[in-house]
Amino acid sequence: MSGTTQSPGERLKWADVWVLYQRELRCALRERAIVINSILIPVLLYPFLLWATLTGITYVTGQSEGFVCRVAVPRWPEGHPKLRLKLEHDSRFTIVELADLAAVTNQLRAGTLDGILEFNPATGAAAALPGNFVARITSDGLRERSSEALERLRDMVDQYRQEFVRREGRRRGISAAEWQVFTLQRENTATQKEMGAFILGLVAPVIFVVMVAMGCFYPAVDCTAGERERGTWETLMSSGPSRLSVVAAKYLYVTSVGGLAGMLNLVTIALTMKPVFGPLLARTGKTLETGIPLAALPVALVAAVLLAGFIGAGMMLFAVFARTFKEGQAMITPFYMVTLVPVMFLQVPGLTLTHGLALIPIVNVTLMVREALSGTYHWPQMGVAVLASLAFMVVVIRMATGLLAVEDLIAGSHNGSLLNYFRGKFQRQPSPKSQP
Amino acid sequence: MIPPIRVQQLSKTFQDEGRGEVHAVRDVSFECAAGEIFGLLGANGAGKTTTLRILSTILKPTSGSASVMGHDVQAAPGEVRCRLGFSSATTALYPRLTARETIDFFARINGFPADKVKARVEHLIERFGIGDYANARVEKLSQGMKQKVALARTVAHDPPVLIFDEPTVGLDVLNAVEMQKVIAEFRAEGKAIIFSTHIMSEAEKLCDRIAIMHGGRIHACDTLAGLRAATGEHYLENIFIKSVTAASTPQ
Repeated sequence: MSGTTQSPGERLKWADVWVLYQRELRCALRERAIVINSILIPVLLYPFLLWATLTGITYVTGQSEGFVCRVAVPRWPEGHPKLRLKLEHDSRFTIVELADLAAVTNQLRAGTLDGILEFNPATGAAAALPGNFVARITSDGLRERSSEALERLRDMVDQYRQEFVRREGRRRGISAAEWQVFTLQRENTATQKEMGAFILGLVAPVIFVVMVAMGCFYPAVDCTAGERERGTWETLMSSGPSRLSVVAAKYLYVTSVGGLAGMLNLVTIALTMKPVFGPLLARTGKTLETGIPLAALPVALVAAVLLAGFIGAGMMLFAVFARTFKEGQAMITPFYMVTLVPVMFLQVPGLTLTHGLALIPIVNVTLMVREALSGTYHWPQMGVAVLASLAFMVVVIRMATGLLAVEDLIAGSHNGSLLNYFRGKFQRQPSPKSQP
Repeated sequence: MIPPIRVQQLSKTFQDEGRGEVHAVRDVSFECAAGEIFGLLGANGAGKTTTLRILSTILKPTSGSASVMGHDVQAAPGEVRCRLGFSSATTALYPRLTARETIDFFARINGFPADKVKARVEHLIERFGIGDYANARVEKLSQGMKQKVALARTVAHDPPVLIFDEPTVGLDVLNAVEMQKVIAEFRAEGKAIIFSTHIMSEAEKLCDRIAIMHGGRIHACDTLAGLRAATGEHYLENIFIKSVTAASTPQ
């Protein structure tokens, strides 16, 4: 294994860290790729995606609402002339007169027909009652028009049945209360505000993780591989600050950009939820109140810092082996994908922050955010989550500092990845290329 | 009195997958006094850059020692780095900083007194004639302008020791001559300078003493006059070839 250049005399100097951090941040804010990928996209991508989705849904819904369903009715039921009248006078339907059922089915599959409504005589005990029939609707589930026809026909026939039963009941002197026996009423105890927080809690943490990771991605590559590619790495390494100060400054830079991206994204989500989800819910006659509870803000801030701290440290660990920006991107991408795996667990609505989950990085802080947005605070578990995240961060930072002390990496002569490095180390083999 | 730069029996060995153990530097010793330009002359792969990287604390020696202003490169690397200015063809500038920000940054991180940084930056901008483009980003500057900014950043913290590793590589004749002129001025200011090159004319013109390196070893080290006397050759090119050939010939 190659030697290290770290000296016991080299200590962390916060004055140096501050100067280095300012330099990193200043250069980053002047770098178009970083500003776009780490700040603008996290802020604008989410509202844009939701807007695009909403527009798409509205368009598709509008398309399906506007058309007239072409329906074939091979046979009408005996004793129900009003049903025929109802269907014929409904502007949402056009009745296609076709007698041959096989031809009608072929037309349905070909898309020139949207639905078949058949009225067959009732069988068994039901056949004894006069006017009884079985209504059968045939549709093609692969086509939106046909699915819409199914819905409309079902609603229409059901509505006719309700009217028929009410009318028959009245004729026989039975009130609706008597033949209905019981009615079903639904009530949601959650307020609109609570529902808004619930939806925010489901949506926001997932995008939060993605955006923090995206926020860390470019800065992590830029301050390691990018610096090597530009040729400024050696300039920096031959300058005054200790390796530890250099690592600390770079780490702070990556963490602050990633954390900022996460926080900005969270705020954007909260601000855009109402205009985005509002119109969707308005179609169902409901309203939604959204907004980040003030008490959740400190928790979200801590979570953003912890999440960015963990992801940033991990990314730097991988990127420190890269010699070019392209190499850095390739080395970080697998880690980026791994950070998204825990996000899948967050889709389970009933998931709460337990002591066990508080030990899993990424999952712990994102659950913290989710619960805080819903107004729930499990303080002991949150404490465990913070401590566990800090412990992970310390381990990863120490590894990163240790790696930056390896002279092959300082000199930029190591040819290989993190895994390659550890393989070489544990197999007690020299690194592939150890010469400046 | 300890000279500003002292290198004693310095060696550096690397592991190479293809070649096995590679002795990049072997038992190298030299000193450089204040107000002196010490030349390291050698072909590519002679061990010059490795030696200078050890001096600038980027690499650690396998054996031997090196010190800058009395500070050992292994025991006190931070102290060493603050006392030297390192410049090479591969040390670049931050493209998105302005010339002024660049000088300011390097003065600060190398420990120049904070209250004097501003005055120092203005002094260097004036000295190197950077004023017209001091607020322009480095990425927008021409090669010649960048070279001046690079020189200014190397001496931003007014180090007593300067290391130049093939600084004229890639420069046109005019810029190379300008670089040589500035380095000579630094010598006049009393700085100890190590100047590594493979260009004979540069070494002839600038260096007070020249060490001829080959295969990781120093084969000859003297003033130009001394080298001429020892080899019987006038031109440095011939002196170099004679020294290297003698070193390569089996005893």
